Amino acid sequence: MRQVVVTGLGVVTAIGQGIDEFGAALKAGRSGIKSVSTAMGLPLNSAALLTDFDVDTSLSKIGDMPDALYQRARAFTRRAPLPVQSSVVTAVEAWHQAQLTDAAVEASRISLVVAGQNLNQRYGYDLQQKYHDTLEYLPPRYGVHFLDTDQVGVVSELLGIRGEGLTVGGASASGNVGLIQGSRLIQWGVADVCVVIGAMMDLSPLEVQAFQSLGALGGKTIREAEKACRPFDQAREGFIYGQGSGCLILENETLAKQRGIRPWAKLVGSGLALDGNRLTDPNATGEARAMKQALHAAEMSVADVEYINTHGTASLLGDEAEIAAIRELFGDTVSQVWLNSTKSLTGHCLSAAGVVEAIATLIQMKEGFVHPNLNLDQPLDKRCRFAGRESQPAAITIALSNSFGFGGINSSIVLRNG
Amino acid sequence: MTQDEVFNVVKKNIRDVLAHLNGHEIPIEASLKDLGANSLDRADITIQCMEDLQIKIPLVEFGGINNIEGLVKLLTRKVNE
Repeated sequence: MRQVVVTGLGVVTAIGQGIDEFGAALKAGRSGIKSVSTAMGLPLNSAALLTDFDVDTSLSKIGDMPDALYQRARAFTRRAPLPVQSSVVTAVEAWHQAQLTDAAVEASRISLVVAGQNLNQRYGYDLQQKYHDTLEYLPPRYGVHFLDTDQVGVVSELLGIRGEGLTVGGASASGNVGLIQGSRLIQWGVADVCVVIGAMMDLSPLEVQAFQSLGALGGKTIREAEKACRPFDQAREGFIYGQGSGCLILENETLAKQRGIRPWAKLVGSGLALDGNRLTDPNATGEARAMKQALHAAEMSVADVEYINTHGTASLLGDEAEIAAIRELFGDTVSQVWLNSTKSLTGHCLSAAGVVEAIATLIQMKEGFVHPNLNLDQPLDKRCRFAGRESQPAAITIALSNSFGFGGINSSIVLRNG
Repeated sequence: MTQDEVFNVVKKNIRDVLAHLNGHEIPIEASLKDLGANSLDRADITIQCMEDLQIKIPLVEFGGINNIEGLVKLLTRKVNE
C-alpha cells in the first residue's frame, strides 16, 4: 500500500497567519477570541475573526516565492470572497513549503480537495441586502463565487493542477473528511500529490442567529471574550466561532523521497463513521467507532497513542460525549494520553477545523510540546490528562485528531511522526 | 450626459475591475479583451456601468459591441433616452 506523507502546510487563523506565527501562538497559548462589535452585524459577543487579514501582507510573509505566482495569487483574489482569499494564501504557503513551485511533478498526477460546504454565506447575505430592490445590478461574478467549487477552479488554475479535483463536505468534520479523501486518492494511485484545503465557512448573521437559537454558541453568560471558550470545563457554554483556513500537501512517500523532501509526518489511518442521526446531538459510540476504525487502519492500538487533538468545541453535550468516547477506548490508560482543544485558542473554525487542527497536531509533534487548553478551571473529568494553562514539553510520535459534525458525522485521523 | 462623461464612468469601472491598468491610458478604440478582461470582468464592468448610470439595458443589446467605444455609445444613447 502506498504511504501518505505530509510535505507542506499553510494556515490562516486569528492567532497567526503562516505556520511560524501560528506555531508561536500555540506555544504561547495566545487566544484569538476577542469581543465583537455589533458593527460586524453578527449576533454574538465573542469570536476569533480574521479582522486584520490582508492577502498582500499574508503572501509577503511566505517568503521567496516566484514573483509570477505572487502576482497571480493577488490578481485571483482581488475581488473574491474572503474564504477564497484565505484558501489561496494557505495553498500558496503549503505549495511553497512542499517545494512544488518548481518541481517536475506531472500536473495530471496532482489532485485538489477543497473541504467544506456553504463557504460563502456572508458574501451571499451581503449581496442580498445590497441588491434586494435592484437585482439587475447584482455583480455577475456572483454566478461563480456562490459555488463552493469556485475554490477548485481558482486554486487549480493558480497552481496548475490537472488531476482529480472536488469539494467534500462533512459539516464541522469537513477538514478531516477532506484529508481522508485526499489520502485515499494517493493510496489508490489516482494522484501522487494532493492539495487538501480546509476552507473557511464565512457565516452570515443568519447562521450565527440559528446557532444561537439552537443553544450551540458560547458566551451566553460569560461576557469576557478571553474566558468565553472553555473546552472540557464544567462552566462551558458552547462553541465560539473562529474564522480560518488551512492547507496540507499530502504526497506519496516514494515521490517525496525522490524529491528529497523531509515530511512533517505520515497520515497512517483514518475513520469516518455515521450515527444515522439528522440532528445536532453527539454520540459517544459513533465517535469511539471513528477512533477505533482509524487506529485499526493504522494497525495500532490505544497504547500507541500519546496525544489526542480533540474536537473539543466546549459544547455541553459534545465535550461530554467525546470524553465518554475516549474513556471507552482508553479505559484506565486514559490518564496517560495528552488531550487539548486547539479551539480554545482559534475558536471553532467549522469546515476548516479538521485541517487547522491537523496542522496544530503536526507542529506540536515536531516541536515536542502540547499547547494549553485555555480556561480549563474545573475539568469535567479529572481522570483525563488535559494540557494545562501553559505549554508543556511532550514527546509525541503518534497522535489522533478528532472532528465531529452535525448530522452524526464522526471522524478521526492518525498521524505518525517518522 | 455627454459621451465623454459616460466614457469617464466606463474608465472608472474598468480600472476598478482591472487593477493592473491603474496609471495607464485606456484608449476608447481598445476592446476590454485586449486590456486583459476575462469574461467575468467584462460582465462586471458592464453591470457596474449600468448601476452607476442608473439605467437597465437588456444584455442582448450588448451583443454586437466589440470595443469600448461601442459600449460608451450604447450607454450614452440609453442614458439620454
